[in-house]
Amino acid sequence: MTANTAAVEATGVWKVFNPDQANQVIALQDVTLRVEQGEFVSLIGPSGCGKSTLLRVIADLTEPTQGSVQVAGLGAHEARQQQRYGIAFQQSALFDWRTVRRNVELPLELAGWSKAQRMKRALELLDLVQLSDFADHRPWELSGGMQQRVAIARALAADPPLLLMDEPFGALDEMTRERMQNELLRIRMETGKSIIFVTHSIPEAVYLSDRVVVMSPRPGRITDIVPVSLGTRNEDTREDAAFFAGVTAVREALRGHEAATAGRARTGEV
Amino acid sequence: MAGRLRFLWPPILVAVIFLGAWELLVRAKDIKPFLLPAPSLIASNFTKDVSLMFGAGVYTATTALLGLALGTLVGLMLALAAQRLHVVNSLITPLAAGLAAVPIIALTPILNNMFDITTRTPRVLISAIIVFFPIFVNVTRGLIQVRPVQVELMRSMNARPRTVLRLLRVPNALPFFYTALKIAAPLSVIAALVSEYFGGPQEGLGSRIASSAANSNYGRAWAYVLSAIIVGLVYYLVVLAIERWTTPWTGHAQRA
Repeated sequence: MTANTAAVEATGVWKVFNPDQANQVIALQDVTLRVEQGEFVSLIGPSGCGKSTLLRVIADLTEPTQGSVQVAGLGAHEARQQQRYGIAFQQSALFDWRTVRRNVELPLELAGWSKAQRMKRALELLDLVQLSDFADHRPWELSGGMQQRVAIARALAADPPLLLMDEPFGALDEMTRERMQNELLRIRMETGKSIIFVTHSIPEAVYLSDRVVVMSPRPGRITDIVPVSLGTRNEDTREDAAFFAGVTAVREALRGHEAATAGRARTGEV
Repeated sequence: MAGRLRFLWPPILVAVIFLGAWELLVRAKDIKPFLLPAPSLIASNFTKDVSLMFGAGVYTATTALLGLALGTLVGLMLALAAQRLHVVNSLITPLAAGLAAVPIIALTPILNNMFDITTRTPRVLISAIIVFFPIFVNVTRGLIQVRPVQVELMRSMNARPRTVLRLLRVPNALPFFYTALKIAAPLSVIAALVSEYFGGPQEGLGSRIASSAANSNYGRAWAYVLSAIIVGLVYYLVVLAIERWTTPWTGHAQRA
């Protein structure tokens, strides 16, 4: 992987469910997106805009109908086989029958690491997400925010260059959510991972990202890409004029498109 | 320890009140033993012939255990096949449901003819068939009903179906398995006991209950019934202990 290899390169990606049938849905229409190494990109848009589908295509959890996806210079399928990305979902998806530490070890177990190495690495990661004291606890003994931190540690375990996150903080309360956002930025600083982050929340997208990719439904496509430059984030950033400007820009990008769609609908265009 | 055993007090209290009322009723109304023997009569019969009780109990318990083992083994193997091959699932599940509707105990005379009536084989088979159903249905469900997000997670890490089975489906099915086993274990004892009513070796609890009742020895018949309850209860408690030991993560409020 050379310096100018993209973390993710999606080119002309289409995803059509039930093609050529009455209930055909174009989930992704000709999506092209390049994410640079170390970049933080959020995908935002209303339900049904295809942001989760795009993430799943990148993760090779579903195949594109057309187009190609490269992850760190590999085809999406090879990238998945070689665990070149880690993934975190809205549900932590932790295994109740494993301790916190052994949940973090799961990707390493699948990659064939020895027991001693696994344990050492898992403890390092629990240290990174500040849950060292909970290594031997069971997942259900942890709060929702802590469970998500374990899920992030698990996603980072095999040290993949890319982190895919599908609304990971969607089920958390506002206070926990903001704390988790700071945690994620700190982890990103310490690890230098590239991150693609799906969210519903405009402030969350702006606070976290280098670029916010705005998507729109029916058919799902990218309508705008809003660059954000807030420098190093801290709690004051949330009250910063530049932050509000970013939020406004993303909101207008989302709205502007809605207005355009409504206009077209009124004039009978498709 | 006192705190941990506190849960035992309510059922014990209920049992004492129930037995006391029973004893009083029998004495006050002078109910004859062939209608309803007093608990004290059952207890004295039990302690008087405790070695007979034990011998008959071991015989029936052994039949039940063999049936339980066989039925569980077949149930587990078919559940594994069913989760892997949809065809097997759609073929066996209706068959298993049909099997559950068969009055299986009523098959004993037939199995007695098909297999050697002088052995316990037909009884073991009856017990196994009865055990098979709850094990198969519950374990299949446990293997199939995993959370989709966990399957996605395993796929994202390039796990093969066999690995998904070992690391996700089997642990997920364990609580289902124990629920089934807690139903199946006492059922296996009932099946082993009742199948003794249809001829064959006379050493078991079922045979002894029948012969004691036929000889108008009602206190002893009830003492054998008491032995059967003890065997069923022991099996249930053993399953419960194994469950607590091997699946410490269940019994908690989990699942966000």
